[in-house]
Amino acid sequence: MQSKKLFVFAALLIVASMLLAACQPAAAPAEQVAEKKVLKLNMGPGDIPTLDPALATDTSSNQIIELITVGLTRQNEVTTDVEPGMATGWTMSDDGLTYTFTLREDVPWVKYDAVSGEVQQVLDCEGNVRMVTAQDFVYGMLRTLAPATASDYAYVLAFALKGGADYNGGTLVDVATGEVIADPETFEGESAPIGPEVVAVQAIDNKTVEMTFNEAAVFNLNIAGMWVAHAMPSFQIDGDDCTEGKGDRWTETGFNVSYGPYALKEWVHDSYITLVKNPFWPGQDSVPVAKIDELTWLMLDDAPAFAEYEAGNIDVARVPQADMDRVKADPTLSAELLIAPDLCTYYYGFNTTAPYVDDVRVRRALSFAVDRQSLIDNVLKGGQEPAGWFSRPGLAGAPTRENYPDLGAKFDAEYAKAQLQEYLDEKGLTVADLDISLMFNTSSGHQKIAEAIQAMWKENLGVDVKLVNQEWKVYLSTIKGAETPQVWRLGWCQDYPDANNFIREVFAVGGSANTAEGGVPTGGVTWKNDTFEQGVLDAAREQDPEKRTQMYADLEKLIVVDDAIMIPIYWYTRVSTTKPYVERTFSVLGGLEHMEKWDIKK
Amino acid sequence: MGRYIVRRLLYLVVVLFVVSAITFGLMHAVPGGPFDREKALPPEIMANLEKRYHLDDPLVVQYANYLYDVFVPQFSTTATTISIEDDALLKFNVGGVYVRWMNFGPSFSSRSRTVNDIFRDQLPISIQLGILALLVALIIGMPMGILGALKQNTIFDYLGMSVAIFGVSVPVIVLGPILIWIFGVVLKVLPPTGWGAKPPYILGFIPSDLSWDGFWRFSIMPAIALGLGSSAIIARLTRASLLQVIREDYIRTARAKGLRENLVITRHALKNSLIPVVTILGPMFAALVTGTFVTELTFGIPGMGRYFVTSITNRDYPVIMGTILLYAFFLVIANLVVDIVYAYLDPRIRYD
Amino acid sequence: MTAQLNVESKHNLSGGQPLTQKRESLFADAFRRLLRNRAAVVGGSIIVILILLAVLAPVIAPAPYDLQVLDDQNTIPKWLTSVFPTMAPYARFSDSYPLGADYVGRDLLSRIIYGARISLTVAFIGPIISLIIGVTYGSISGFFGGRVDNVMMRFVDVLYAFPGLLFIILLMAFFRSTFSKPDPGSFSYAISQMDARMGGMLFIFIGIGLTAWETMARLTRGQVLSVREKEYIEAARTIGATNGRIMFNHILPNIVGPLVVAETLAIPGYISTEAFLSFIGIGVNPPTPSWGAMISDGAQVVRTYPNQTIFPALALAITMFAFNFLGDGLRDALDPRLRGTQ
Repeated sequence: MQSKKLFVFAALLIVASMLLAACQPAAAPAEQVAEKKVLKLNMGPGDIPTLDPALATDTSSNQIIELITVGLTRQNEVTTDVEPGMATGWTMSDDGLTYTFTLREDVPWVKYDAVSGEVQQVLDCEGNVRMVTAQDFVYGMLRTLAPATASDYAYVLAFALKGGADYNGGTLVDVATGEVIADPETFEGESAPIGPEVVAVQAIDNKTVEMTFNEAAVFNLNIAGMWVAHAMPSFQIDGDDCTEGKGDRWTETGFNVSYGPYALKEWVHDSYITLVKNPFWPGQDSVPVAKIDELTWLMLDDAPAFAEYEAGNIDVARVPQADMDRVKADPTLSAELLIAPDLCTYYYGFNTTAPYVDDVRVRRALSFAVDRQSLIDNVLKGGQEPAGWFSRPGLAGAPTRENYPDLGAKFDAEYAKAQLQEYLDEKGLTVADLDISLMFNTSSGHQKIAEAIQAMWKENLGVDVKLVNQEWKVYLSTIKGAETPQVWRLGWCQDYPDANNFIREVFAVGGSANTAEGGVPTGGVTWKNDTFEQGVLDAAREQDPEKRTQMYADLEKLIVVDDAIMIPIYWYTRVSTTKPYVERTFSVLGGLEHMEKWDIKK
Repeated sequence: MGRYIVRRLLYLVVVLFVVSAITFGLMHAVPGGPFDREKALPPEIMANLEKRYHLDDPLVVQYANYLYDVFVPQFSTTATTISIEDDALLKFNVGGVYVRWMNFGPSFSSRSRTVNDIFRDQLPISIQLGILALLVALIIGMPMGILGALKQNTIFDYLGMSVAIFGVSVPVIVLGPILIWIFGVVLKVLPPTGWGAKPPYILGFIPSDLSWDGFWRFSIMPAIALGLGSSAIIARLTRASLLQVIREDYIRTARAKGLRENLVITRHALKNSLIPVVTILGPMFAALVTGTFVTELTFGIPGMGRYFVTSITNRDYPVIMGTILLYAFFLVIANLVVDIVYAYLDPRIRYD
Repeated sequence: MTAQLNVESKHNLSGGQPLTQKRESLFADAFRRLLRNRAAVVGGSIIVILILLAVLAPVIAPAPYDLQVLDDQNTIPKWLTSVFPTMAPYARFSDSYPLGADYVGRDLLSRIIYGARISLTVAFIGPIISLIIGVTYGSISGFFGGRVDNVMMRFVDVLYAFPGLLFIILLMAFFRSTFSKPDPGSFSYAISQMDARMGGMLFIFIGIGLTAWETMARLTRGQVLSVREKEYIEAARTIGATNGRIMFNHILPNIVGPLVVAETLAIPGYISTEAFLSFIGIGVNPPTPSWGAMISDGAQVVRTYPNQTIFPALALAITMFAFNFLGDGLRDALDPRLRGTQ
């Protein structure tokens, strides 16, 4: 009896306090001096992993970093052209290996001050404003490469910069002579004592950065502008005479310093992040002064985010695949809908040494029996493009449909059946003898696609393919090891918009989907073709764009048709709805937007 | 009773130890590590990462270090810095001596946060949601169950049962979006997503702003969506248990003595019928607080639920260990409270 | 009245033979009373129908559960728009699917019929494992009390302190990688074959079973603790009943009521555990249908195509009603206090 009374009492208490709270006078409305332009968006579920440019790996981190800092070069998010960033200009040496960047000198480090509610310039020990200098960029790059930082994406700089790989790997090699410097202790954990003798990047003076690359590649300028090479504040991270070093905490609210068109106002983990316009960013054509005063990202899953969009609480939202039919049929929503290309490819890979799929005819059969358009229309519904090859059109060097209409894989059930039949006849097998498994990481999206393709193979070829799924991390280690299944799925998105980043970094020996040891493939597609290996090297160095595209077209034909080591399925798009009062650009860089170019016209 | 409680608390320590050992072993036995990425990392970078987080130490050493960090308090005369290594869940100052206790380690997925930060910021929200859901479950469930028992096999009984079944067979995944749509998008009376409470919290988990705007309007839908399923369980269990108790002899005696029916029920029947319900309450609360993943995902609530699941898929070892220990702690305490309440409810239960 | 008179009247009424009540076993009595409970009979019949549906699915279902007709995806029968008028602007119609088609054009009704298999298997195996292990464990613990009880319950605490979900996820990850490429003829091969035939559910069943029995153990123990102090237990002891006899004849029948009800209540829990596992992706291997997976798949389109989640949820609800009615009836039937009545 007492317990029941207790519960009733507690319930009454709750109700009473609710009523009391509701009766309180509403909070006084915030004072509005001028109409502030505020944009609300959604980042996606889960917290942003980090705002540290040296450590960032995923798109949500990069989105913020791209707005609060600027690289030496900047990639135009719509055209993918390389534009000036903090560097107003650059020169290249005759051998194409050394680049010299000239910086602007009028950009200060800034910080948001919660007490005054304003963005303020950061002062140094003498009370002068700290400006962004070449030394900050060099510090940033060396910090990324430092072994103690343990950065994931250091591999890009390690691969590109002379001496980078050795330093990142823990050995110090003199870049001029190639000799190993035998005193690692002085260099452990601190980036300051590392000099240009070890890693070929240096600040000639306050406004000049010189970088020497390993290859004379077209995409060196892209790499110079990547987030891992942005300027970083050594005074805030390691500290100096008048500032306490914040270490790994330097990205938190109140500690973060930046210099780009926006500054960090507030980051409440797992809830939201707010950027505020930086009035001290001088502005230039490629990175103008921001027009929107405040940007807030919520951290919701796609479905609740879209509900918020429909309720009018956020201004931009991705459209969940489940709602596509409804959105397309709705007059308001369909007008706000836009489907824009995204530089990613979804594909199935083959383990070319596994039973049954070790024969190229079986692989071709499976590839050409996939009705990609039907998949897109009926399952994906996002206006994606059927993929004929791997390096997505839009990347530098990648072939496009306009120029190469007959290239690559397409839906041709007759051809597929003929290829399979040839194989079966030669081996004396029937369709029922084929034991093939398709593996994917557990996710309802991949499952839907796999189920549809499984049915297509059954219908067009009569083959019963088994579907197996594995949890993500287990899956990753499976598809990169000796146990790679016969068919497996993956996607690849651009790190920098060049075909080299796609076809070479994924399928060359040692690549992401072709793991190797000592030059011998051991996992993934487990494939080596010498023509291909030489071809990607040549294509990376080719300077003439037309010739280069032709070279990549030939390479694509090799991996998609001749050797058929993978099935390109579709090229990504981004499907989103935007409120009509938002004037915006649409990025092709995997959703990495440059909001300083956006405006709100209410 | 006092000695019993002390003994149970000692067992708590043993339980935590065993749970941590099993989890640690299982965690490392499952293939895949925290730094396996789609774009495979070169071995040097992998080595860097492992060195940074001491994953290259022998497992026993890692485990011992972990236990040390969590269970042994650190004392120092200098103030705690903000650095990651220095962080701990409990930090206080006792007469000039700085005490740091319970450091659950850094998070592998988020470089600027520790597991302690995650607990401090996210756990109170899950606790708040859990408490509210439990209240919803009790407020809806118990009256329904009592009514069903008292009016067995009448229309009230069947109605109550129907609501209960509905609550259980419509999971949060389905009910959540429907609620959001009706109240958030169409009627616009409640915010579709979000949770008003923000750190800092009073007593570690009570939100500082308890107004309608700041808290309650965010919590109504999630609490109902989460609590409805549990209310069904409470309703059914209350009903079944009360039905059984009503047939006991002492109830018949009470009636025979001429006691009014409602006094018979409230003074005699209810208290004894609560044992199965109370049994369920403890684990139910623990499960509610830690099983909020879908509710939090659907309503965009920044609680601990997501960490439970994503830490496993990400192999974020410190977060896994921390959340498991947390869950174990909650459960053992909840069961202890349940056992104490047992003894109060039924004086015949003795603990030797 | 004197005793003698009583004896005489007894004798007189029955013509010389002592009048005794016919001895009925507990279960025969229970079954008789169960049959009189109309609601329980309805529930039981529904379950029998479901079992028949599950067994005869290939015969009854209008279409194979894995037949995809991509062009027909998300189509609905015309009568559905009168129930859900919001679907009118964008819905596509087809008459081949009584309840509509799912996102790849598979017939919902057929998948629901086949789905009964998985859901019923979970609904039976889960409680069986849980009851057998849990009740045994809990009764021993509660009956002996003292240190035995303490140690046993602490052990349960440790196991219980493991979030079942984590356990299942880790278990799945472990099993699926260990048994992914087994040699034919080995033990792991047999296990993975069994798993494949069950649509990938074997490890889920094992995981669910392993994580569910603790609640039953605790519940049983609480009940036993309460009941063992009762007078009739003392009475049984004084007349020399052994522990086993006390347990089976006296304690268990008195506690079985809430236990059975609690277990039938747990059945939706098992099914929603299976649904949740499907939701985070460790459920049945596609294309095997299960109501849980269908509900969570349909939940994503609940605003656009509500039929895809409502009908499996209805199937689930009906099954739950049935189990509940039956569970109630069982509890009433097994209650010894009502023995010989009705």
